[in-house]
Amino acid sequence: MAIEQEPKVQTQAAATQRRYRTLAVVRQEAITRVEKPLEDSVFVWPHLLVREFFASTIVMVMLTLLSVAIDAPLREPANPNVTPNPAKAPWYFLGLQELLHYFPPTTAGVLIPGLVLVGLACLPYVDRNPSRAYADRKIAIVTFTMFVVFWACVTLAGSFFRGPGWVWYWPWQGLFFDL
Amino acid sequence: MSSLPEKKSLLDIITQKIVTSQLWRSIFRHGYPDTPLNQSLVMMGNVFLHLHPVKVSRQAMKITYTWCMGGISFFLFLVLTLTGVFLMFYYVPETHTAYQNINQLSSAVSFGHLVRNMHRWAAHLMVVSVTLHMIRVFYHGAYKPPREFNWVVGVGLFFCTLFLSFTGYLLPWDQIALWAITVGTNLAPYTPILGQPVYQVLVGGPAVGQATLIRFYVGHVILLPLATAILLAVHFWRIRKDGGAAGPPPPSRRELEARLAEAEQGLAPTAAR
Repeated sequence: MAIEQEPKVQTQAAATQRRYRTLAVVRQEAITRVEKPLEDSVFVWPHLLVREFFASTIVMVMLTLLSVAIDAPLREPANPNVTPNPAKAPWYFLGLQELLHYFPPTTAGVLIPGLVLVGLACLPYVDRNPSRAYADRKIAIVTFTMFVVFWACVTLAGSFFRGPGWVWYWPWQGLFFDL
Repeated sequence: MSSLPEKKSLLDIITQKIVTSQLWRSIFRHGYPDTPLNQSLVMMGNVFLHLHPVKVSRQAMKITYTWCMGGISFFLFLVLTLTGVFLMFYYVPETHTAYQNINQLSSAVSFGHLVRNMHRWAAHLMVVSVTLHMIRVFYHGAYKPPREFNWVVGVGLFFCTLFLSFTGYLLPWDQIALWAITVGTNLAPYTPILGQPVYQVLVGGPAVGQATLIRFYVGHVILLPLATAILLAVHFWRIRKDGGAAGPPPPSRRELEARLAEAEQGLAPTAAR
């Protein structure tokens, strides 16, 4: 056992000569913002962790059941000499492939997706409206909703309504879609 | 109560022994998190849990608000990483063997078929969940200051998600894979000015072939997961630093004024809202 030493009693003079170091500078908003009223909050353990546990369990069970029920597609081995008709991109790019039907490749294949991505990234700097209330954001909400609906429509059209030669096929006439 | 001799069951005694042992106390520096102090210590002292704050706003945590989509996207990313590592043990990115490897996964590897299915479906689900997460964040205006930059990081993660899925699409080396990637990469030459270099970087030859397969494989198993993990770290860090989850949008000023007016007219019950 180590014998603890008595701390030396400091004289007034010794205390004034003491050197101090800055261990941390805590700006008011540096660590976490504490503007929210305390009574509005709950402990993460257990309240949030329990929700996360159940959410991940449900997703895992559903994913396993889905994987047991439906097989991932696997067609014939790749053959560069046999082009399937239609040759379709992955489903999340089928909106672009549909646009390729209406616009030249530079526009539909490069400029539109590029501008969409850059536009999305710039969104918070373009939309300078500080309010988050729905009633104050009518233009933003309507514009974005139109964009999402348009994108959903072209993706659905490219996925389920296009057949050989990129001709319009109704789903009951034949599906040309792989996941 | 205390005067009675306490009868401890064997389980209680064993539990007590374990949680007071040096090994247990060296791992967990705090008691079981059923007191405010221990509930705080567990969140701050655990490297996995410390991504979370100690407390969260009750409103911002509601499933009807978050849709759970960000968390589910991250969970799917973890599932994809684990199943992906499993698949890497059996898959060789070589045009003559790749397709065979995938077939052998189904026929000769324990759980190989199931794990491949899970990897495929989880990948599609992740594209869906990330998209829904972005749509949700837009409608709640949660990209507004001080969270602008985290939205930009999120767009980067969306890009990574799409290209993780796209690069993985080629690996089975079947007709779907080859021609989907051919259709996709055939757009690269149309990039203004940089068209041919971009195509060469992606495809590595005149058409999708062995060079493309190894490029997509390396991108799929190393570069893009690494980029995604780094962006995820920034994304989660920024949530904390920008003040936590934004929470449901507040009422507009007009709605507030209307409520105030109602309250002044002596309609006490509505004022209580």
